[in-house]
Amino acid sequence: MRFAWLLPAGLFALPLAAALVWALAGALDPLAWRQLAADPALAPSLRLALWVGSASTLLSLGLTLWLVTHLHARPAWARLERALGGLLAIPHAAFAVGLALLLMPSGLIARLIAPLAGWTAPPDVATVQDPFGLALIAALVLKEVPFLLWNVAAQLRPVARNAQLRQQLQTAQAMGYPAASVWWRVLWPQLLPRLALPLLAVWAYGLTVVDMALVLGPTRPPTLAVLSWQWLLDADAAMNRQGAAAALLLAGVTAAGALAAAVAWRLLQPALRAREVRGDRPPAHAAGPGAPLLALAGVSAYASAIVLLLFVSIASVWSFPALWPQQVSLDAWGAVATGLRSVWVTAGLAFASAATGVVLAIAWMETTPEAWDRRAAPLVFAPMLLPGVLLVVGLYRLALELGIDGSLAGLWLAHSLFTTPYALVALAPAYRSFDARYEHTAMALGRSHLAFLRQVKWPMLLAPIASAAAIGFAVSVTQYLSTQFVGAGRYATVTTEALTLASGGQRGTMAAFALLQALLPALAFAAAWWLGRAQARRIGVPGVA
Amino acid sequence: MTSLHDRRRQLLVAAGLLPFAPLLRAADAAAWERTEKAARGQTVYFNAWGGSEQVNAYLQWAAGEIGRRHGVRVEHVKLGDTAEVVKRVRAEKQAGRLADGSADMMWINGENFLVMKRESLLFGPFAEALPNFALVDVTGKPTTRIDFSEPVDGMEAAWGMAQLTFYADAKKVAQPPQSMAALIDFARKNPGRLTYPKPPQFHGTTFLKQLLLELAPDRQPFYAPAPADAQRLLAPLWRTLDTLHPLLWRQGRQFPASTVVMRQMLADGELLIGLTFNPNEAANEVAAKRLPGSVVSWQHAAGTIGNTHFLAIPFNARAKEGAQVAINFLQSPLAQARKADIQVWGDPTVLAVARLSAADQAAFAQGQGPGSVTQPAPTLPEPHASWVEVIEREWARRYGQ
Repeated sequence: MRFAWLLPAGLFALPLAAALVWALAGALDPLAWRQLAADPALAPSLRLALWVGSASTLLSLGLTLWLVTHLHARPAWARLERALGGLLAIPHAAFAVGLALLLMPSGLIARLIAPLAGWTAPPDVATVQDPFGLALIAALVLKEVPFLLWNVAAQLRPVARNAQLRQQLQTAQAMGYPAASVWWRVLWPQLLPRLALPLLAVWAYGLTVVDMALVLGPTRPPTLAVLSWQWLLDADAAMNRQGAAAALLLAGVTAAGALAAAVAWRLLQPALRAREVRGDRPPAHAAGPGAPLLALAGVSAYASAIVLLLFVSIASVWSFPALWPQQVSLDAWGAVATGLRSVWVTAGLAFASAATGVVLAIAWMETTPEAWDRRAAPLVFAPMLLPGVLLVVGLYRLALELGIDGSLAGLWLAHSLFTTPYALVALAPAYRSFDARYEHTAMALGRSHLAFLRQVKWPMLLAPIASAAAIGFAVSVTQYLSTQFVGAGRYATVTTEALTLASGGQRGTMAAFALLQALLPALAFAAAWWLGRAQARRIGVPGVA
Repeated sequence: MTSLHDRRRQLLVAAGLLPFAPLLRAADAAAWERTEKAARGQTVYFNAWGGSEQVNAYLQWAAGEIGRRHGVRVEHVKLGDTAEVVKRVRAEKQAGRLADGSADMMWINGENFLVMKRESLLFGPFAEALPNFALVDVTGKPTTRIDFSEPVDGMEAAWGMAQLTFYADAKKVAQPPQSMAALIDFARKNPGRLTYPKPPQFHGTTFLKQLLLELAPDRQPFYAPAPADAQRLLAPLWRTLDTLHPLLWRQGRQFPASTVVMRQMLADGELLIGLTFNPNEAANEVAAKRLPGSVVSWQHAAGTIGNTHFLAIPFNARAKEGAQVAINFLQSPLAQARKADIQVWGDPTVLAVARLSAADQAAFAQGQGPGSVTQPAPTLPEPHASWVEVIEREWARRYGQ
C-alpha cells in the first residue's frame, strides 16, 4: 500500500517520459529550427498566438472574478453552478462548430438581420475567421469561463474553507465593507493562488488550441499552433521536424508566460496588501442585474450552438437568407445509426481510461505527501501544455515499440495518459484538503486504514471522485489524433467519425456526430452529479447537496 | 512473391518483347491463382480518406463483394488526411517494423505517392501484373502511368480519374464562364462571390496551375523542370492574380481551406462558383440532396488539368496478396461501373470502356443526372511537379501572410 505511488509512476510517468523523449527528439534538430526561423509565417503567427492566448486568458479571468464577486450567495449562483457541468461537457470542437453556425456570414444572426438590411446574399464580412482572431477569442472565453467558475466552486466547496470564507465575509461586512470590496481585497488574494493551475491550463490552451482555431480562427496567417499542427501532419519528414520545433517553441512560450505571471503576482503583493489594510469603505452598490444577465447570455450562446447543430443535422439544402431549410433529410442520423459501433467504442474506452485516471490519481495522493505534487507537476502538466500532436508522435512511437499499436490496449494506455493528469488536477483540491481528523477518529476507533478509506473517506469524497471521472471521460471522448495514430485508425470513435466527415464537408452528418460527442460527456457529468447528490443525501455531507 | 515474376515482365517490356507475352500468359495465370489462394482468409486494412458518405458506402459495398467472391475481409480505415498513413508507415519503418504493418492498402496519389516511392515505403511493382491491368486505358489516359511527373512503375494501381471542374447554381449564374478570362470578367461583375482554396492546398494550387496554362502563350516550358529564372515565366500569373484578388471573396485577403468548404459556402449562398476535381461531384451532391437540383457543372472549353488517383500497398503490409486481390476487384468493370454511377459516387473510370465486352459497356451507360458535365473538355496534363514548389513558395510570399 505504501508503494502504491509506483503504480502511477509506472503506468503514467514512464510511458509519458518515453513518449516525450521521442516527441522532442525531432524537435531538437538544428536544421528544423533554421527552417522554422526562415519561414515568413513564423513572426505573424506567433504574434497572433500570443494575442489570442493572452486576450482570452485575461478576459476569462476578469469575467470569472467579476461573475463570482457579484453572483456569489445569490440564487443565480446556485443555478449557474448546476449548469456548469453541462457547459463543460460540450467538447470544444462541437461548440466551435455550433458557434460558427450562429456567427458566420450565412449564420443564424445574419439571416435574422437579412430582411431588415435587405441582404439577398451573405455579407462579405469576416464575422468568423477574422484577421484579429476575435471570433476565436470569444469562443475561448465562452469555453474557459465555465471552467474557471467550476474551479472556483470546487475551491469553495470544502466545508472548512467555505465556512472560513463566509466568516471573513460576515466580519468584514459587519465592519461596514460592502461584499464586493471584501471579495476584491480579502477573498480573491487568498483564492487566486489556488487558481494558478487552472489558469495555467487556460493560458496553455489558448496558445495551443487547434480544433477551435481551425473553425473560427484567422487563416492568413493562422495561429502558430495551427501551423505547427499542419506541418506535423505533412507527408514530408522535414516539414514534420519544423512542426515539432514550432510545437516546442509554443511550449517554451507557454512556460515563459506562466513564469512572467508568477513574477508579476509577486511584485503586486505589496500593492495588494496596502489595499487590503487601507481601511476606506467604498459605497456599496445595490446588486444589479448585470452579472446574472451576462451569465444568462453565456448560457444562451451554448444553447443556440446546440440547437443549431441539431438543426443543421437535418437541413440538407438551406440557402441564405431563408430561416427554414429548402430540403430536410434524416440521412445524417441514418449514417449515425449505421455507425453505432463507434458510440460503444467511444464510451467503453472513455470509461476505462477515466477509471484508470482516477485510480492512478488516488493511488498517488494516498501514498505521497502533498509536497510531492509539486515535484510531479512537470510531468502532470506536460500532456496539458504540450501541443497534442507532438505528444502523439512520441506516444505512437512508444506504442510501436511495445507492439500495442492498432489495439484496444494501446488506445487505453494512450487515453489514460491524457485522462490521468486531468483527474489529478480535478481531484487534488478536495482530496488533499480532506479533514485529517476523520482519519484520526477512525484510527482511534481501531479501524484499519483500508476500512477508513472504504467506509469513510471515499464515500465522503464520492462527489469529487465522480466529477473527476466525468472530466476524464470527456477528455477521452475528444481525443482524435491519439485515437487515429495509436489505434492505426482501426477503432472509429464518434470524434474520429466527426472529424473525418468534417474533412469532406458533410456538414449534416458531422453535426450529428458532434452532438453525440457532446451527449456522451454530458451523460457522464449528469451521472457524476446524480451520484454526488444521492451520496450527500444518504450520508449527509454538509454543503454538497 | 511476385517480385521475381514482375522483374521478368519488366525486362521483357524493356527489351520490347511484349508482343511475345502470350507465351507467358499461362505462367501469369498460374501466378495469379497462387496470389488468390494465399489471399483467402486474409484481412486487408484499407486506409482511405473517409470524408464522403457516398465513398464510404461504396467501399462498404466493395468490401462485401470482395469477401463473398474471394474470401478476403476488407476493413475501411477512415482517414481525415492521407498523410496520416504516410506518417504511420514511415514511423513503422523507423521502428524496424519491416513486416506486419498496420496498413495493407491505401488510396493515394500525387505528393504522397512521390514521398512514399522515394522513401521506399511502397510494395511492388505489382500493378501491371494484375489481370485487370489489361483493361486500363493507358494510352487514352496517360496519367494512369505517370503521377505528379513521376513514372508510376507499377508501384500503384490506377483507380479513378479526376479533372478540374466548375459548378454553380444555374439560377444565379446563367452563363458559366468557359475560360479563365471569362471567369475574371465574371468576378468583375460579381465582386466578392468567387474564390479558390488557399495554396498549398492541392485544389488551390491546381487552380493556379490552370490559370498559368491558360495565360501562357507557350505551355512547353511548364512541362519541363522549372528553370532558375522560373519567376520570369510566372510574371503573367502574378500580374493576373494582382488584378483578380481584390475582386474575390474577402477581397482576396482570406481564402477558404478546401473545396469542400467552398461547396458549403456555395450551398449557403456565400459563393457563386465552386470547383472540384471530380467532374461528377456536383451531380452526386444533387443526388444526395445537399445541393439544389438547378446546379450545373462545366469545364473550361479549351481543357482543364486532370490526373488519376491510385491504390497502393505499403512495403510492410501483412496481407499483400489480399490487397492485390482487392485492388484487382476494384479495377474490374463491375466495380468501376458502379463507382462511375452518379447515384453511387460518380468517380470516372480508368478503364478503356470501348475495349470492354458489350455487356460490360452497357453497365457504364448510366446516363447523366442533374448537375453533370454536359460537354466534357479535353484533359490537360499537370505541369512538371517542380513548378508546384516554385508557385506555392512565391504565392505564400506574395499573398500568404
